[in-house]
Amino acid sequence: MALGVLPSPACPPAPRGSPYRWMQVASQCQLLQSSSGRPSAPQLPQLPDEPVLLQDAPGGLFQLPPGDPFPERVTVAWLSVVALAFALVCDPQENLSLAEITLRRLAPRLLASLRLLGPGADVLLRPETIDVLLDRFLPHGQMLFLNELFLQAVDREMGIKASR
Amino acid sequence: MFTAAAESFLKQAREIQEEELRRFASRVATVLQGPEPGPEAADCLQRLHLSVAASKYPRRLDGKFVDLLQAVLCSPKSPEQIQLLCAAILREMSPCNDLTLSCDEIRDTKLLSLVSSVLLAQGNKKAEVSAVGQRIVKVLERRLPEGQSARYLLPVLSNVIRLSPESLTEEQTNVISKKLADWLRYASTQQGVPQPSGGFFSTPRSRQPGPVTEVDGAIATDFFTVLSVGQYYTEDQWLNVQAFSMLRNWLLCYGAKGLKPPNSDDKMGMDRSVMSVVSTTSTAGRLLPPKDRLREKAFEYCQRLIEQSNRRPLKKDDGDLQKACLIEAVTIMDIICKQDSSYVYRSVSFLKILHSRISGDATYARALLPIAQFFLNHGKTAAVDSDAIYKHLFTDIPAQLFHNPSLAFEFVQFCKDNTQLFTETSSIFRQSFPNLFKFLAWNSPPLISEFVDLLPFLLDASTAIEIFHLLLDLPCLTAALDVQLRSTALPTSERACDPAVKPTTCLEAFRHPQYKSMFQYLLRTKSAPEEAPQRLIPLRQLLGSLSSSPRVVQCAETVPVLLELFFRVVAEFADARLINQLVVLLLQRSDQLYEIPAFKDDVYRVLSSQLVMLCKLRPALVVELSTEILEFSGTVGNIQNKEAIFSHLVWAVGEYLSVSYDKRCTVEQISRFFETLEAMLFEITQLRPLASTPSYAPRAISVLMATLTKLAARSQDLIPRVSMFLSKMRTFVQNPAVTSVYSEEDLEEILIRATELMNLLKMPSVAQFVFTPPVDVGSTRFQREVNETLPFALRIVTRLLEPAPSFMPG
Repeated sequence: MALGVLPSPACPPAPRGSPYRWMQVASQCQLLQSSSGRPSAPQLPQLPDEPVLLQDAPGGLFQLPPGDPFPERVTVAWLSVVALAFALVCDPQENLSLAEITLRRLAPRLLASLRLLGPGADVLLRPETIDVLLDRFLPHGQMLFLNELFLQAVDREMGIKASR
Repeated sequence: MFTAAAESFLKQAREIQEEELRRFASRVATVLQGPEPGPEAADCLQRLHLSVAASKYPRRLDGKFVDLLQAVLCSPKSPEQIQLLCAAILREMSPCNDLTLSCDEIRDTKLLSLVSSVLLAQGNKKAEVSAVGQRIVKVLERRLPEGQSARYLLPVLSNVIRLSPESLTEEQTNVISKKLADWLRYASTQQGVPQPSGGFFSTPRSRQPGPVTEVDGAIATDFFTVLSVGQYYTEDQWLNVQAFSMLRNWLLCYGAKGLKPPNSDDKMGMDRSVMSVVSTTSTAGRLLPPKDRLREKAFEYCQRLIEQSNRRPLKKDDGDLQKACLIEAVTIMDIICKQDSSYVYRSVSFLKILHSRISGDATYARALLPIAQFFLNHGKTAAVDSDAIYKHLFTDIPAQLFHNPSLAFEFVQFCKDNTQLFTETSSIFRQSFPNLFKFLAWNSPPLISEFVDLLPFLLDASTAIEIFHLLLDLPCLTAALDVQLRSTALPTSERACDPAVKPTTCLEAFRHPQYKSMFQYLLRTKSAPEEAPQRLIPLRQLLGSLSSSPRVVQCAETVPVLLELFFRVVAEFADARLINQLVVLLLQRSDQLYEIPAFKDDVYRVLSSQLVMLCKLRPALVVELSTEILEFSGTVGNIQNKEAIFSHLVWAVGEYLSVSYDKRCTVEQISRFFETLEAMLFEITQLRPLASTPSYAPRAISVLMATLTKLAARSQDLIPRVSMFLSKMRTFVQNPAVTSVYSEEDLEEILIRATELMNLLKMPSVAQFVFTPPVDVGSTRFQREVNETLPFALRIVTRLLEPAPSFMPG
């Protein structure tokens, strides 16, 4: 499972190359998948550009204690889409409903812009694409209360075609 | 994992050597310094970024190169993509000592935001955070030049105050507070216009944009908020969204430090709040100090959001945003009331109405938590009775919505944030603990660590026994919840149940009179300490069909952890009565566990070590509970099925059945135990000539031998019997029927042990001392040392008595 970790404003950078937090999300996701009886190896869509349905995408919340690996206690909101997982690290006092909404908005846009389900390596070689997306939806780590039409306005600014 | 291409890129990037990186960097420098950095430059920068980012150890790039990156970043001629890449590389290298970047001269707000992202990543060694904060405020203070937007600056500001609230002076926070209040309250209520696309054929449209609407399509009834909707947005509407998004953070940082009039008289507070209601739109508001004014506008904004959340949205996803806004609005109101209690009266009635509106709607359940928190924080100030709110929250919500993982998580966090609620025995919170465990039973992996934190607050002398049973039945609870969910999902026509017919499935049993009350007990919402868990035996068997379901198995895995914690906490406060109760129940429940083999093994392991802990805590229980202990240790089946508990129990008998621990320990007591245990040892070491020899755990044999020896040391008439028995062990271990079912090492151990014990008994006074030290000695270092060196002591004694070398182990 490939993972992207998005730090929120309160969260200081984790120590370099800490694989532990990646494993946490992977294990939470696998446990959730197995407990709900879903197949653990979902089919990849045939074409990389096929729209990916997010409605049933599993996700959840869990906490990491202080020091492990972040200096302060953090809450992680995660979302799993096909074979990828996304994690948003929040201060425990932040609005977790909004964190989940933010993840559900970022994930499909990242998937599409970086062709994450395709064979290429865009995710590694196009940090500026990631930065543009993060700058719109999570500027400096700030989560935004954007309603649907505001979202469309943001997409328009970035030149993203509306998928609906 | 990654695709093959990505994997190989990553590997290459990680393995690149310093020298090669340096050469690459100078190549990139050449390209960047060329006339117009184009796609080749972008490509190089992308690869460079990967090399720097992929390694575990910080990569150092040349100081001159860092200067170049900075220059390219800040140059107005650089294309946006190049700027972004330079910034990304500089961020990856932070903290970077060669950085001379400064935001002081930058006028373009977009660039300012980008440069700030680099500066804020430096770790604030050179007060970068403050410098950025100062610059942002300076830019925001004045009117921005044409074409520049403040949109890019607010998030930076939010980050600055999160990293270092001291970066801004009070004057500066007042300036920003004033602007925030204006942005929140006075954004345009007309929609924006699309930017003209230009081009030869486009005609400038002079059509007036319409007003913004609510999420349900109605024309907006009041000022603009994040729940206002339009096709295009104006600059100030953007600022409205961002201002609200950072509002909580801002108020937490600076809201409390105002110069509040020293005015704590309640009546005055009430009058002030009445005045505020009346003067919402009057100019009187403008005379308030900036912090107070912001509070006022923020409060109105929250009220408006709460009203707007009542509308049914045209777009389904706006419904999710409404709920998130509701939660945020209530939380901000709570903060405002903490900072200025005059707002409490206005809030209370408002929130009570909100609560009655949403309490029946499961999709709004998460919003009930901040509402409850508000009343916990301010209910007393307002002299309001909020019991109905808490009752609904703790009785109904977990029972109905345990399966919602986000709600489950937030509910448990709420409990952890308010642990003081659980200290009162009669409170609704404390009484509802069976309900709380439903969250854990259904959502075990994310919640187990939360419950490890929460459990100590739920445990005391009055709840310990019930929680003990509950923990052992936690996987059963998971299964029962599953049945309940499936039953609720059935159409009413299929729910009928014939009482005369015995149910064959769990689903049928759920409504069957024979099982209904058992389900109800297991799924109870309130503590019921008087009920006997024995009545669950048939239900546990019935639910056995679900014992391999993944969710049940996940839950079962959390039980050992919680059990150990349970005993650790209980040991701190348990009195004699409770300890005895727990030991008896422990032995009883070992027969009444949910049938999951791995679960049972783990539980036995924990229970057996905790049994020893309890005996250490209160050695007298061995005498007081002799009936129950004799019964357990006299049942051969227990050696097979529950060997861990059996062995530890027998060990405890050997350790603590002594007059030094309890004066009531008579010779008869010792004899009675001796006879029972002797019979057991005889049973399991019996050689049956024709029948096959069953194998028992070698540990059980060893511990029985040791305990019998210890008892004999205390009642020396028994010594000849033990010695004779022990001498027969040689025959036992050499018998072919035995060697075929036990391993060689185990048999050798048994024989060595038997011999050592026999030798010890040849010196009865030594044996007595070793095995029965005086109690006060027992608590000193000496006793602990003796226990640790006992095997060593036994070997010394053996060596003294039987110097034959062939008999010595290594």
